[in-house]
Amino acid sequence: MSDAVDAWQYLLVLGSCLIVTLPLEVIGGARVYRRPKALLATLVPVVAIFAGWDLIAVHHGDWWFSARYTLRPRLAGLPVEEWLFFLVVPVCSLLAYEVLGRGARGFTWRNGRGAGR
Amino acid sequence: MTGDYTIGAICAPVAVVAVELTVLRTGILRRPRFWVTIAITLAFQVAVDGWLTKLSAPIVAYRPGAISEVRWPWDIPVEDFGFGFAMITLTLAAWEWTLRRERAARPAEPGHE
Repeated sequence: MSDAVDAWQYLLVLGSCLIVTLPLEVIGGARVYRRPKALLATLVPVVAIFAGWDLIAVHHGDWWFSARYTLRPRLAGLPVEEWLFFLVVPVCSLLAYEVLGRGARGFTWRNGRGAGR
Repeated sequence: MTGDYTIGAICAPVAVVAVELTVLRTGILRRPRFWVTIAITLAFQVAVDGWLTKLSAPIVAYRPGAISEVRWPWDIPVEDFGFGFAMITLTLAAWEWTLRRERAARPAEPGHE
């Protein structure tokens, strides 16, 4: 891969997570993106605690991020992608959790009764 | 050998489980759906984290003294799974807690039972 493409690696990984899980909201019946207030209330403590841990560890030199495989912008010393990680991964897990909770109501394959909209 | 991250990766899941059992009390840990979500998320973590931590071209690199240097599968520091479990458990418990509060604040809707 060329250097220019290399820098997008981390962002592309996160982007694929969102693309792969998007059908869970669109056709799977998960209501995560459509409950923005609940989503925000959930993400605030998660980002505060786990990005906080990340910041301390990076400050401490426990781990660091490749300049080659991340984009240039840094926020408080972390690549923007790392900040996005703390939004993307929790959202993906919530989508899985919500689809599992809908059971047969989520997808339309049972009895042809639809998703109950 | 243990590093700071090793200790954190052991303590964080314990701390999050303790918060769920004593403060949030959503009962999520007793639900199969929670454990299935954890299994799915950790399975995806192997793929994503495997790519991020591969030693041949790491996106994230670790100071050897900070980790146990047990890397499995591939080059993933095992500590990452403690971090992942804690983060996802807090996410799901906070989500349940938030939805419950929303439901409790809303007057009962007829025909919803």
